[in-house]
Amino acid sequence: MLAEFFRWLVNSPWSHFMNSYEWVFPAVQSLHFIGFAMSIGTIAIVDLRLLGLGMRRQGPADLAADLAPWTHVGIAVMLTTGPLMFSTDAVAYHFNPSFQFKMACLMLALLFHFTVHRRAVRPDVPPIAAELAAATSLVLWTAVVAGGRMIAFI
Amino acid sequence: MLEWIESTDLSLAIREGGLPYPIIGGVHLLAIALFGGMLLATDLRLLGWVMRGRPFSDVWYQFRPWKRVGFVVVVATGLLLVWAEPVRLYGSPSFWVKMALFALVGVHALVFRAKVYGHPEQLDAGISSQAKLAAALSLILWAGLVVSGRLIAFDASFEGQPMGNADYHNPLGR
Repeated sequence: MLAEFFRWLVNSPWSHFMNSYEWVFPAVQSLHFIGFAMSIGTIAIVDLRLLGLGMRRQGPADLAADLAPWTHVGIAVMLTTGPLMFSTDAVAYHFNPSFQFKMACLMLALLFHFTVHRRAVRPDVPPIAAELAAATSLVLWTAVVAGGRMIAFI
Repeated sequence: MLEWIESTDLSLAIREGGLPYPIIGGVHLLAIALFGGMLLATDLRLLGWVMRGRPFSDVWYQFRPWKRVGFVVVVATGLLLVWAEPVRLYGSPSFWVKMALFALVGVHALVFRAKVYGHPEQLDAGISSQAKLAAALSLILWAGLVVSGRLIAFDASFEGQPMGNADYHNPLGR
């Protein structure tokens, strides 16, 4: 069943589009990079603030609320361009260990972001809990990027 | 000169050491996210698309330290990646586009320092159209740097050469 889904993906119109011109794949990949700079960059701002490392002119909740729209735009771009690249060679990606690692980390990171992380910025959270949440978030997103970079190598 | 760089131990270690190349590449990417986040917040504030209720000088000063850290790390890892394979990069058009854009980033900083970035407090009362232009140009330049940087791995001049992260027929290798 999975194999059938992959075959369908690889033969999909968008997969054909991704392979149509040499510039399409790198262009989509660049968008993926800009998307993750937007999302992970703004998440990192909140994490660093929670850890007390700068951005002290604003409280964490305030900062998170200000940046949330851009975090979400970044996540949307990331989650659109990622599957597009996956579609071009679904089977190979599926069996790539770095890709598997990346997807596991991504699931955890997204789950964490929309559950624990959004609560960690509230003022009534004990500092140690907020710091732990921020550190976890930074580690998870770093693992996502590192796993992604390793896809081309392992 | 380029051959000499490639023959250094450092260049060899990054190029053929296995893990160092992707690790440096990974740190380069993470620094892009860090720097990009700070840059985005600052420039979007100038454009009035984020943190409108906050004085620009607050935004500028609170994001600047990490923006600098991100910039230093991105440039340092970038230099290491260049050091690893200068001969191939010399023949890559995208690399030269990227260097030209990087030079323009320097020009941008010089041009807008006096009127925009040098005196953030003056923009607290209202963002001048010149400051908005500076922000838009900065976002375009940095997006261009990401795109041209990514294109380096796809340059036709790389095909058939060792270290195959440039193979068109192997999407996983890019």
